[in-house]
Amino acid sequence: MPSNAPLELTMIEAVNLAMAHEMRLDKNVVILGEDVGINGGVFRATDGLQSEFGIRRVMDTPLAESLIAGISVGMASQGLKPIAEIQFMGFVFAAMEHIVCHAARLRNRTRGRLTCPMVLRAPYGGGIHAPEHHSESTEALFAHIPGLRVVIPSSPLRAYGLLLGAIRDPDPVIFLEPKRIYRATKQTVRDNGEALPLDICFTLREGSDITLVSWGAMIPETLSAADKLSESGIHAEVIDIATIKPLDIDTILTSIKKTGRCVIIHEAARSGGVGAEISAQIAERALLHLHAPIKRITGYDTVMPYYRNEHHYLPNTEDIFLAATDCYNYK
Amino acid sequence: MKYFKLPDLGEGLPEAEIVTWHVQCGDTVKTDQLMVSVETAKAIVEIPSPQNGIIQTLFGAEGDIIHTGEPLVEFAGEEQLDTGTVVGEVKTQQHTTVSDDHFIIGSGAGATSAYKRCTPAVRALARRLDIDLELVKSSGEHGLITFEDVEHAQNLRESKGEQIKLRGVRRSMAKNMAKAQEQVVQVTIYDDADLHNWADDNDPTMRLIRAIATACTLEPFLNAWYDGKVMALRPLKTIDLGIAVDTDNGLFVPVLRNIGNRHSNDLRKGLDQLRTDVKNRTIPPSELINPSITLSNYGTIAGRYASPIVMPPTVCIVGAGAIREEVVVAKHKPTVHKIMPLSLSFDHRPITGGEAARFLKRLIDDLESAQ
Repeated sequence: MPSNAPLELTMIEAVNLAMAHEMRLDKNVVILGEDVGINGGVFRATDGLQSEFGIRRVMDTPLAESLIAGISVGMASQGLKPIAEIQFMGFVFAAMEHIVCHAARLRNRTRGRLTCPMVLRAPYGGGIHAPEHHSESTEALFAHIPGLRVVIPSSPLRAYGLLLGAIRDPDPVIFLEPKRIYRATKQTVRDNGEALPLDICFTLREGSDITLVSWGAMIPETLSAADKLSESGIHAEVIDIATIKPLDIDTILTSIKKTGRCVIIHEAARSGGVGAEISAQIAERALLHLHAPIKRITGYDTVMPYYRNEHHYLPNTEDIFLAATDCYNYK
Repeated sequence: MKYFKLPDLGEGLPEAEIVTWHVQCGDTVKTDQLMVSVETAKAIVEIPSPQNGIIQTLFGAEGDIIHTGEPLVEFAGEEQLDTGTVVGEVKTQQHTTVSDDHFIIGSGAGATSAYKRCTPAVRALARRLDIDLELVKSSGEHGLITFEDVEHAQNLRESKGEQIKLRGVRRSMAKNMAKAQEQVVQVTIYDDADLHNWADDNDPTMRLIRAIATACTLEPFLNAWYDGKVMALRPLKTIDLGIAVDTDNGLFVPVLRNIGNRHSNDLRKGLDQLRTDVKNRTIPPSELINPSITLSNYGTIAGRYASPIVMPPTVCIVGAGAIREEVVVAKHKPTVHKIMPLSLSFDHRPITGGEAARFLKRLIDDLESAQ
């Protein structure tokens, strides 16, 4: 039962807690996806939910992502609030037609008569030694689509608050969970039902020398880098974008006007990544405040390598530290 | 407490420089054990540990500037292990050293632009010429620095010499003086005290302190704080005398407390201590705040009369010039006496000219007495 007692939770447990909270509060919230019911989810995100809420609210589906997304759009247009789980983000492409052509457009197509209050959850990103199709970071594909909100948590506490916000949002939210840090750390979370806003960045560290902008599983790496930078006397401000679309550029610009320097870190491939959009907006609106060129630390423009090489692909603390030091010392 | 943040070290001191760490990562510390020495604009301050614990991280190296509210140290906390894998392996505890418990929704407070605006090309030019853009006067729109501005700064430097940016105590002085000028309606009156009756061993500073205490007791409105916003005067219960002290680092005004009720030996000891602390930069910020009235004894160097600046919220300042021998008329005959020139500046918003003149009269009467 919901209570204000402090719980020590991993991110995956916080995701579970947020869904359970909202299902108790709102009978229109339903869950569907592969193995979400009896099995409790491939990563155990929906563990225990079917036994509490029954098979009419926690539905196991066939292995058919197109069907999961299509049914969700239908449910959402008729008053339910479906939370669809795609087991791995690499399987989402079969569902794209429903997401891009219908979920994202329902409000506009019906001139506001219908909205599509669905959440599509998917674990994403590398670092867990998974096979092919299980490690990509393709958040930019969704961020490019008008009508979609794209949210990525980076800690248990923010996962809880952001997922509540996503479920309550009247429009479709793509909720991407960085699976590499699903169980990386525990944090004190209270099941107080308080949602976090879906249109604003989070400042995780305040600093005056350089702004580090990141999201998802790169946040712990970025925070480590910030700690390391602080040991060498460089005070980094760390911003977790959290909602990559729509982008809260104001928080980023405010920080850059203070620091004059910026490094953007993302795991996804470089070209056309969300980092490019952030970089462009900074150049458009804060160029005259910059003391050094913007730097991006990203994955490569290649297929995500098989697991033996994935650590070469993923940006790490050292990469971020070196880039930030370079940027800080730019002459 | 996981993070210990730089506490507020006193009024108007938003930052401090780390001078010496007395602990290292991994050290076990006890409550009140000395952790770090920091230097503020005014003094060296020793910061103790708020709790028992093991130091996990030190934020900042010696020489770094830390702002109030920024973390200084992180204490080690208990971490819990977790298991559970699915496809591949979802690792636990990849980042045991990084804590992420605290975050701000949006921007932090006080995030303002720290830099001058200019195009990258102008910035590059300034860098090449080694011109500090912070010191360049801008002529472009919305404070934009142009090529011409940088070139002008370069020409000025070539023909007139380098600019020195004010720092620390001198910087605070500049700010405070500008603030005083902006707020106070200042009037200064001048007069002399005839020290003919003094014994040879009279100490001018101690006599001035006593005379101010006496004058304040008789004219209590001069020993007061004035709030111009709400137009209210607060006559103060104790007389806390700010004494201007000149140092190589700049102007300090340590406060000698409760001068109305202390014996002169005690005051002398107190004053010497304040002067030593100022000289060694070890004076605690608490000894530099909230005077009720101020004395500037510039006569120890040179100068006869001045118009010393009243520092709000106080309402007056006494300036004492150099004691000199002067021909005066006594009993209708010219004779030579020792004379101390006095300048009293007051804030004419809450204080009348009569009150100020009477205060000056009391001051002179006390100074002219034999003992």
